[in-house]
Amino acid sequence: MIEPRPFRWALGALLVCALGIGSAWGATVAPKAGGVLNAMHREDPPSLSIIEEATISTNWPMMPCYNNLVLFDPMKANESPATIIGELAEKWVWQDDGKTLVFTLRRGVRWHDGQAFTSRDVKYTFDLVREAPGIATRLRLNPRKQWYAQVQSIETPDPATVVFRLKRPQPSLLMLLASGYSPIYPAHVPAAELRTRCVGTGPFKLKEYRPGELIEMVRNPDYFVKGRPYLDGIRFIIIKERGTRIAALQAGQLDVTMPQEGTKTAADQLRKAVPRMVFIVTSQNINDNILVNFKRAPFTDPRVRRAVSLAIDRRGYIQAVRQGGAIVGASMQPRPWGVWGLLPEALTGLPGGGDGAKGKVDARQLLTEAGFGPGHPLRIVVATRGIALYVDMATFVIDQLKQVGIEATLEQVESAQWFAKLTRGDYGLGANLTGIGADDPDANFYENYYCGSPRNYSDYCNPEVDRMIDAQSQTLDPTRRRVMVAEIQKRLEIDGARPILGWDLDYVAMWPFVHNLVPHTSVYSYARFQEVWLDR
Amino acid sequence: MSAGIRRFAERYPVGMAGGAIMLLVVLAAVLAGVVSTHDPTRTDAAHTFVPPNAQFWLGTDHLGRDIYSRIIHGARVSLAVGIACSLIGGVAGGAVGLVSGYVGGRADTVIQPTLDIMQGFPLLVLALVMTAALGPSIETVVVAISVPFIPRIARVVRASVLSIRETSYVEAARALGANHIRVALRHILPNTVAPLIVMSTAQLGSAILVEASLSFLGLGVPEPYPSWGRMLSVSAAEFAQRAPWVVIFPGLAISLVVFASNLLGDSLRDFLDPRLRL
Amino acid sequence: MWAFLARRLGLAAVTLVGMSIVIFVLLRLAPGNIVDLLFQSAGYVDPVEKQHIMHDLSLDRPVPVQYAQWVGQLLHGNLGLSYRYGLPAWQIIRPRIPVTVELAIMSIAVAIALGLPTGVASAARQNTPVDYGFRMFSLAGLSMPAFWLGMLIILVLVRAFGWIPSMLYISARVDLRAHLLQFGLPALAVGYRSAALINRMTRSSMLEVLREDYVRTARAKGLAGRAVIYRHALQNALLPVVTVIGTEFAFLIGGLVVTETVFNLPGVARYLVEAILWRDYPVVQNLVMFIAIIVVLANLAVDLLYARLDPRIRYT
Repeated sequence: MIEPRPFRWALGALLVCALGIGSAWGATVAPKAGGVLNAMHREDPPSLSIIEEATISTNWPMMPCYNNLVLFDPMKANESPATIIGELAEKWVWQDDGKTLVFTLRRGVRWHDGQAFTSRDVKYTFDLVREAPGIATRLRLNPRKQWYAQVQSIETPDPATVVFRLKRPQPSLLMLLASGYSPIYPAHVPAAELRTRCVGTGPFKLKEYRPGELIEMVRNPDYFVKGRPYLDGIRFIIIKERGTRIAALQAGQLDVTMPQEGTKTAADQLRKAVPRMVFIVTSQNINDNILVNFKRAPFTDPRVRRAVSLAIDRRGYIQAVRQGGAIVGASMQPRPWGVWGLLPEALTGLPGGGDGAKGKVDARQLLTEAGFGPGHPLRIVVATRGIALYVDMATFVIDQLKQVGIEATLEQVESAQWFAKLTRGDYGLGANLTGIGADDPDANFYENYYCGSPRNYSDYCNPEVDRMIDAQSQTLDPTRRRVMVAEIQKRLEIDGARPILGWDLDYVAMWPFVHNLVPHTSVYSYARFQEVWLDR
Repeated sequence: MSAGIRRFAERYPVGMAGGAIMLLVVLAAVLAGVVSTHDPTRTDAAHTFVPPNAQFWLGTDHLGRDIYSRIIHGARVSLAVGIACSLIGGVAGGAVGLVSGYVGGRADTVIQPTLDIMQGFPLLVLALVMTAALGPSIETVVVAISVPFIPRIARVVRASVLSIRETSYVEAARALGANHIRVALRHILPNTVAPLIVMSTAQLGSAILVEASLSFLGLGVPEPYPSWGRMLSVSAAEFAQRAPWVVIFPGLAISLVVFASNLLGDSLRDFLDPRLRL
Repeated sequence: MWAFLARRLGLAAVTLVGMSIVIFVLLRLAPGNIVDLLFQSAGYVDPVEKQHIMHDLSLDRPVPVQYAQWVGQLLHGNLGLSYRYGLPAWQIIRPRIPVTVELAIMSIAVAIALGLPTGVASAARQNTPVDYGFRMFSLAGLSMPAFWLGMLIILVLVRAFGWIPSMLYISARVDLRAHLLQFGLPALAVGYRSAALINRMTRSSMLEVLREDYVRTARAKGLAGRAVIYRHALQNALLPVVTVIGTEFAFLIGGLVVTETVFNLPGVARYLVEAILWRDYPVVQNLVMFIAIIVVLANLAVDLLYARLDPRIRYT
């Protein structure tokens, strides 16, 4: 870890500048058309339907097939309201003090099957996701229904205009629509079919899906942006074993890593083996965290909860489990990658952000107060999924807890039962990863910390924090909003809602002949591949 | 008995060597706390991927854990599972074979196809399905590996029983008024012990290999039990360059133990019953 | 002869039915089903939605009804829909079968090519260093986990030649040399164990036959020593070897599962593991039945071959 912190700040800022310069440089050399990109993929996507899934495994191969209303500019690394550009929407305007959002749509766009794209498709898509009353079809899975809970109605006065009417102002709406998780679906194709095939408006069409082997995309010659895409096609090659993937990249059998799969150790190894490989360090908007079951003893006792959070040395965790490839932070992605993150000075005052050794001393103290000690140790079970990374996380946590006198054992839960178990509340502590679809408080807080949210596995419920979340969601003034969000983050850390062990960094590696693939500060939204070109 | 062992040692030194190695491994497993140099579950961020040296005899893994200590503790699991499966398979298989062979008739016609069915599944596949059905745990692994052994052992025992059942020796005992159970236990069973021991020893090696394969696939004994198979659940291509010792030593441990048990088993078979030669 | 065949086929059929029931029941004993897994990717579980999906997939019907449905479909040649992919199970399985079959055949070829000659050489030079060497070699083959052997092969290739075998499947039509290399290495890893067994089998049965009177008689008649060994002994020794190949089939599949994983081959054996983990019942059931049929047929074939080859055996 680079100390002191101002240097880390400066380095971060420098990296961000480098990213910017890098992407700008990429844009000045004249792009060449042609070629097929061999992209890394780690597993079969659970289905091909982006809206019904919550994993990069679906977004990465399927984003090339679709378009959004608006999207984060693929060429700009830092996602923010300032980098939102129009895709299927040409322009948009807020009205009614932020309660109405009007989009003017692009004309002449066609779906891959030849049908015309109209405002009807937009209304259909978002009525489907928000489960509008009276809608005929249902999605099988709908993880982001919460995102559009404030939408009162969607109107389509003409085929090129869509009006979102909200119950109350929600400035985040545009950020949510710009996420890779918000493609527009065709109204004339049943949603269930889109689980196994793709009908979109995007720069690529789905050519073939061979389960377990690859997903192949081919250029869409009728794409509404003339001269794009540059690539003839993309092959997402599925290799389930991490080391094997890296070996294949090193051997030139793959051209680029997959978002979320670029570890620091892999990058170090690749750098030594292939000096001319290009590396880009960015953040993922994914954090490693501990789920504490608020409803189960002994975690009903806030002292025990706090002790658990204090016992885990965050920096030690980042070093041991992530080999330095992560950074400390609170519930929003830390700066300079995220816009809302707490400043480092604010973090030191919170549990886990300070000195590791002192944290353990405090933890022991709290445990004694709660009635546990050497003769009467606290025994708990740490549950996690049977995936190598999760097991490593849990192993480290157990070791840390041992050092403050807590006797913890590991329970490896098969993927088939993991979320069912969490939802039932059938666990004490769990090791978990949480990805957030956009760097926005609404995308994060409502899903993970709001009372009663299905993904608030800890059953953390603080009505005051709920009020604060609702308040910031309606605040139009960005400065005021930032202060409110900082307050919420501090509260969440103090309450120990979901102790964050680290925010993961992505060490994206690609061969130098890959141009214009700019990794963003969040993994979920940059896989359109519209501007990417090859120089083999 | 000890005279038998001495005779065995004289004629089959290689087998004795195998037996000695097994004994050594068992001792190391039992005395794991004493013999290991580090806590096998202790992670150490500062010492990841250390090559074998004076401090870490066989190097460390990606979490900084000492591989030598993990191998010693892993021996407990492998041996425990292997011995348990051999015993269960041997006892259950022996009983089934005895009943099937001695009683014969209707019991046999029911038992035989059942054994066929159990034997039809490849060892690993059945273990996989059972682990999926019952959840990964050490008990499940033992059950999953023992079950396919039973028909194999039952078959051998049954054949042995059949060959003895009709001898005049047994007829004489029956004529003298001994009841069935007495005959079975006192006259037939001792003659099946030899093939039983040989088969069980052979199954020990198989059990250890299947457990390692299950753990390699991520379906074997779960954390925190260290398992040789799970230690190998890494990418060969990646670790070949970074830390080959992570790949070499656990596999060597498995191979050594199975090799020793095979040596012992081979010699035992030659010693006890050359007719079973394979 | 026909009565024997009919009886064996009948037994095989009963065995297969029994196996199908076992596999069907075992899978459904497993806690958590495909629906929980489908939710896993979305990160939440909604009980109401779960009920809907279970009804769509007929998972809410009683188990015997589901079994009857499955068997009915099988008899019509319908292998059902993969729960996980939403595509016909046959579509998922079919491209993988040739990969595994090819690997299996190459492994058996390696096993015979390695095991037979070394077994013969061992028997011919009994108790010499050559014999001991081969015996240790084959015992090592029986002791090493197949997946570890595969990993060692990759280790050696990387350290010695700086070369990583292709981790992407290369079809024979695209590049024959690369394809053969891609399959040859795992075939070596899988075949080594079978080679060891064939070696031991060949050696011991040849030794037994070599002791027999008729060989001594043949020798006395003055045939060249070598010819004696190869023509008479080998022919008779082949019988148990064939048995081994047949019975080894079942164990071979275990080796295929792990080796396909190590070398990243898109085969059926490896896919079975994934399908089990995903509780993709249609795929697992069909695959396991497929394997069971192959194993049962292989055993049957071996029994018949045995009966044909050895005139001493009457059809019992």
